[in-house]
Amino acid sequence: MIASIRDFARQSPAYVVWIAFLSVLVLIGMVSIAYVLIHGLGVTNLSDQLPWGLWITVDLSAIALGAGAFTLSAAVYVFGWKRYEAIARAAVVVGLLGYTSAMIALFVDIGRPDRFYHPLLYWNLHSVLWEVTMCIMLYSLVLVMEVSAIVIESTRLRQNRFLHLTARVLHRTMPLFALLGMGLSLLHQSSLGATYGVLMARPVWYSPSAPVLFILSAVASGLAATIALTAITGSFMNKFLLPSDVLRGLTRFAGIMALAYLYLKVWSWAATQYYSHSPAIARDIELLAENTPYGFTFWWFEILLGTLIPAIIFLWPRTRGNRLALITAGALSVLGLITYRWNTTLSGLVVPLDWSPGVMQVMPVVEYTPALVEWGVTVGIIGYWWLAWSLAARFLKLYPYARNPGEPEVELEHEPRRATVQRAPTPAAGD
Amino acid sequence: MVQILVGAGISIGVAAVLAGPLAPAVEQIASRLQGGAAHGAADRHKPRWGMVIDLNKCIGCDYCVYACQATNDVTDAMRWNIHVVDRTPTGKTFHVTRPCLHCQNAPCVNVCPVTATYIRDDGLVVMDYDICIGCRYCQAACPYGARSFNWFARDDSPNPYAPEWGTPEVPRRPRGVIEKCTFCIQRIDLAKQTGQTPGVDAAVTPACVNACPVTARYFGDLNDPNSPVSRVIATTPTFRLREDLGTEPNVYYIPPEGLAL
Repeated sequence: MIASIRDFARQSPAYVVWIAFLSVLVLIGMVSIAYVLIHGLGVTNLSDQLPWGLWITVDLSAIALGAGAFTLSAAVYVFGWKRYEAIARAAVVVGLLGYTSAMIALFVDIGRPDRFYHPLLYWNLHSVLWEVTMCIMLYSLVLVMEVSAIVIESTRLRQNRFLHLTARVLHRTMPLFALLGMGLSLLHQSSLGATYGVLMARPVWYSPSAPVLFILSAVASGLAATIALTAITGSFMNKFLLPSDVLRGLTRFAGIMALAYLYLKVWSWAATQYYSHSPAIARDIELLAENTPYGFTFWWFEILLGTLIPAIIFLWPRTRGNRLALITAGALSVLGLITYRWNTTLSGLVVPLDWSPGVMQVMPVVEYTPALVEWGVTVGIIGYWWLAWSLAARFLKLYPYARNPGEPEVELEHEPRRATVQRAPTPAAGD
Repeated sequence: MVQILVGAGISIGVAAVLAGPLAPAVEQIASRLQGGAAHGAADRHKPRWGMVIDLNKCIGCDYCVYACQATNDVTDAMRWNIHVVDRTPTGKTFHVTRPCLHCQNAPCVNVCPVTATYIRDDGLVVMDYDICIGCRYCQAACPYGARSFNWFARDDSPNPYAPEWGTPEVPRRPRGVIEKCTFCIQRIDLAKQTGQTPGVDAAVTPACVNACPVTARYFGDLNDPNSPVSRVIATTPTFRLREDLGTEPNVYYIPPEGLAL
């Protein structure tokens, strides 16, 4: 055992160093989580005026970045675009990492983690957050099913007859899981936006477009993240992980989703903030402009860098085949998404409630900078995410059509081409 | 397309099968949401507890704030009943105190993912500290900032407002749950046993109302035309905070001089 580890370390020392580095991050996270569980949420910089902060942003972002899983599962098993099997497995693993990360963040963030199962027992059908919780729990189960099939098929576990059978049954029922996953994801990815959008008391949140913006941004950035992660992993493994026509279709779809998101986002801004002349919203935007970089980050990070530039990179033929360009686009898209979730969470809470009957602003503008322990947990979750991905990419067969440089795209030719012929000429554009 | 339709059909079927065994749970929730209306029979009068706060009379002495903190054992950082200074358009300052408004269409109740906060059939919006998971969505949803979270565990240190302003009548809440004004629910429930009337008999009236030195606060049954609150509302112009939100609060305010309704 020890000898084989030593051999492994000798073969790829950089990988071992990387894993060790991530393990340190995970350790920091575990210490931080223990600290919070022992001392309570009082150790954070959250307050009654600003009860949600960095961890909610982590939770929302991780779930959104896992949206590639349901999109690509649906593409393969519901819409029958078989060639996307080339990336569906990786996307499903990314999905599970996102959802488990979100669950860790939520577990720390709720005041009574010992009661995390209460939404299962005490149903409030009127609560959008109850719906979100149930969907996330169920969808995580779906992801566990999908990932366990991958784990069994790509490791020595398949030699066990029972597990082999299980994997085959799971594989057969995959269309059902994909369909279920699509339904659950469409529900909760949108409802997470509705969580903010339904609150009348917060003018910057109250918006019917929030649910749609949340799911569009999640699909756009989730796909972008999966593409970029594949590009990064491919360059480290020195392999081409995807057939070029699959990559082309993926980037086109990610680009179109980014544009759809951009279109709705700009109109949502124009309708609610610019043309509406709503005094309540105008007051809040003014307070945000005076006290926070909300306007700057909205236009630069959410719109320009986070959506428009990635869309151009994904759709322009000269950049969409370039690995470095794809990594840049993915990173920018992720940055844009995280900024969007952060700005959403903070914007509605930083501006004070306006309930007093007179003309004075009786409640102060709320300030918030995450505490060290909040960063500690966040770093730990990011470390966990990369650690799990690094191990999965190394030990699981995530890319069935991977090939070495110089190798022709042979084995994968017939399957994708059949699909292409069936659905010519724009198979991935999402008709 | 056909696959989607078939799949949707299957999903609905599965949902229906799953819903079967869960029917009792659903019924339980439904009755809970209606505040156990089943035994509300027509023969008994159903109260709806409410408050009137006269901003003309209020002098901003904070007695109601301290009485609340003593009676309900509330820390300074988590006050259920707060006092702010506001100004009329003509520049005159006035004092506003704000308990929980016990909205009849309460955003906090609608958003709670675990039914830890609910509206009783007598109109009180209350917390079940044993169910709350501490997600704090109700804090984000409440338009009035009337909810406090137990960020820290309470120690055994004595309440600085007792016994001068009253004695604690309810246990301290555990770390990690939300708490809020209850209209002194323990006193209102005591009235059922003693036959006294909240708002009239001091022993069963919220501590903040009793403590007010200028009787700026009235309490009583909004469904009873002879209660102190109903009589004030019938004879004086009143308003409620942010009525535009449709939350239907049970707390009414008498505007100060110079503040148009």
